[in-house]
Amino acid sequence: MAKTVNVLIIDPDEARAEQVAEGVRADNGDQQTVIRQERHFELRMLRDFDPDMVIIACESPDRDMLEALQVANEQVPRPVVMFVDRSDDNATAKALEAGVAGYIVDGFNPKRISSILTVAAQRFAVTQGLRKDLDKAKADLAARKTIDRAKGVLMASRNLSEDDAYKALRKHAMDTGRPIQAVAADILAVSDLLKPGDSQ
Amino acid sequence: MTELKIAYSPLNDAALILVAEALGFYDSEGLNVTLIREANWSNIRDKLAYGLIDAAHILAPMPFAAALGLGPSMGRIIAPMALGANGNSILVSAKLKARLEDGGRLDTSLLGSARLLAREVERRRKEGLGRLVFAVPFTWSPHHFVLRHWVASAGLDPERQIQWIVVPPSRMADMIKDGVIDGFCSGSPWPQAAQLNGHGEILFSDPDYWTLKPEKVLGVRAAWAEANPEATIALTRALLRAGQWASAPAHREDLIRILARTASVNAPWKAIELALDGSGLTFDPQTATFPWISHAKWFMGQMVRWGLLTPDHDFDQLARHVYRPDLWRDAAAPLGLDCPVADEKTEGGQAAGWEIPAAPHNIIMPANQLFDGGVFRCV
Repeated sequence: MAKTVNVLIIDPDEARAEQVAEGVRADNGDQQTVIRQERHFELRMLRDFDPDMVIIACESPDRDMLEALQVANEQVPRPVVMFVDRSDDNATAKALEAGVAGYIVDGFNPKRISSILTVAAQRFAVTQGLRKDLDKAKADLAARKTIDRAKGVLMASRNLSEDDAYKALRKHAMDTGRPIQAVAADILAVSDLLKPGDSQ
Repeated sequence: MTELKIAYSPLNDAALILVAEALGFYDSEGLNVTLIREANWSNIRDKLAYGLIDAAHILAPMPFAAALGLGPSMGRIIAPMALGANGNSILVSAKLKARLEDGGRLDTSLLGSARLLAREVERRRKEGLGRLVFAVPFTWSPHHFVLRHWVASAGLDPERQIQWIVVPPSRMADMIKDGVIDGFCSGSPWPQAAQLNGHGEILFSDPDYWTLKPEKVLGVRAAWAEANPEATIALTRALLRAGQWASAPAHREDLIRILARTASVNAPWKAIELALDGSGLTFDPQTATFPWISHAKWFMGQMVRWGLLTPDHDFDQLARHVYRPDLWRDAAAPLGLDCPVADEKTEGGQAAGWEIPAAPHNIIMPANQLFDGGVFRCV
């Protein structure tokens, strides 16, 4: 019977940790993998869970806690960077770039190290990509609202149709070489000043 | 324009790196800089090792520890300047503070408070209580050496009579509140933020320990510096200019504003302000940024003193390999700064301002004195 492998994942982002856990499970094939996910690292986790490998998000400040344990103890997970040959292993650098670092106990199957790290890095990269998409979607939505409100101002003040209001906005954007939502934001800023009753 | 990536930790003493960006000094020195905020020192070390960043705000002992084989490699690093002096404070829980008091009064000199600490350690031993727990942000940090020196000054054995743990500054206040740790040393503004929230009291700050204590340096990947010698000088000059700006009293409000930004230190304005007043943090390029070889040797001496390193190494060679006063002079001279003639100085023993030989004019240095009167001479 294959030995179980205990993997501890430390990530303040729980959804991302779940992604990494799924990836590690899928990657580990026949071996039984026990995964524990935590938002913060605590010293007692080493005693209670006895991890063979720790995967930690670089955005967690707790990485320095984990790092310091090796100074006083022999039997604790040590940084992966100390086990791999830097010249022929890109997995560690790629993982760092994606925002994740690994720690393993002595005797952990070296072939598995880069495989698990690579999986973790891929999952991090995917989450990062999704976050960017989400941010972009939010920004796009905000821009559309601004443009819609600016169109409304033009329709009311210059008595234009919706289509003509949009054309006027677009023409001004092209003439001044600025994004259309910036022109729309300017119109809204000025229209606030022109609101009746505001000036005394 | 030379492209480079610089990493920093969210602390007040990252100020020069942040100010140079905010005021366009990198730009005017021909550098296109991308700043990266890192949540821990291990990331910075590894990213330098793998060339993912070119330079960083680092704890002064880090490159020496790595070069001496203590922990993972950092790659070859040079330090053309220090990023200021002082800035750390030591905070203890309200419970420990009360124990250190005598009839409601506390002897605040470090020798005095250490003696009271020894009394408390002895009381705990007699009553069968566990050791006091002190936290530092990194093993290879000035914080760790300052606390050990203070504890030892009352005859305590810091290795066996105190328990040390590494905790990120952002979690230290909570651990004090929960009673997990009894005290910590951290860079500002975290001790001030903790005190404002009622999670303990500041016992002393860097200048109480050493009036002009070295702390962070600019670490540059040696491979990058060798490939970009002009840009390395330009980078140093941009940061020295930031030092000139940041140490002018008139710029204080703007400095706090830059530090308080979410992307910078992201701490309450009040804590940042308290820390600038109380931690002795100085950015004066003339007196607090020269990479003294004697500082480098002092740090390595501390590693030996506290049993973290064997003494059989060529410390002079390693100090000069990392610290580069020659580059500081190349960057500073065109700015009209005076350049120290020597690379080393005697550390400690100067209770008042003193003069050191420099060109074109001698420099009047502030007091340079350690709390126990110790004097460190480079032989």
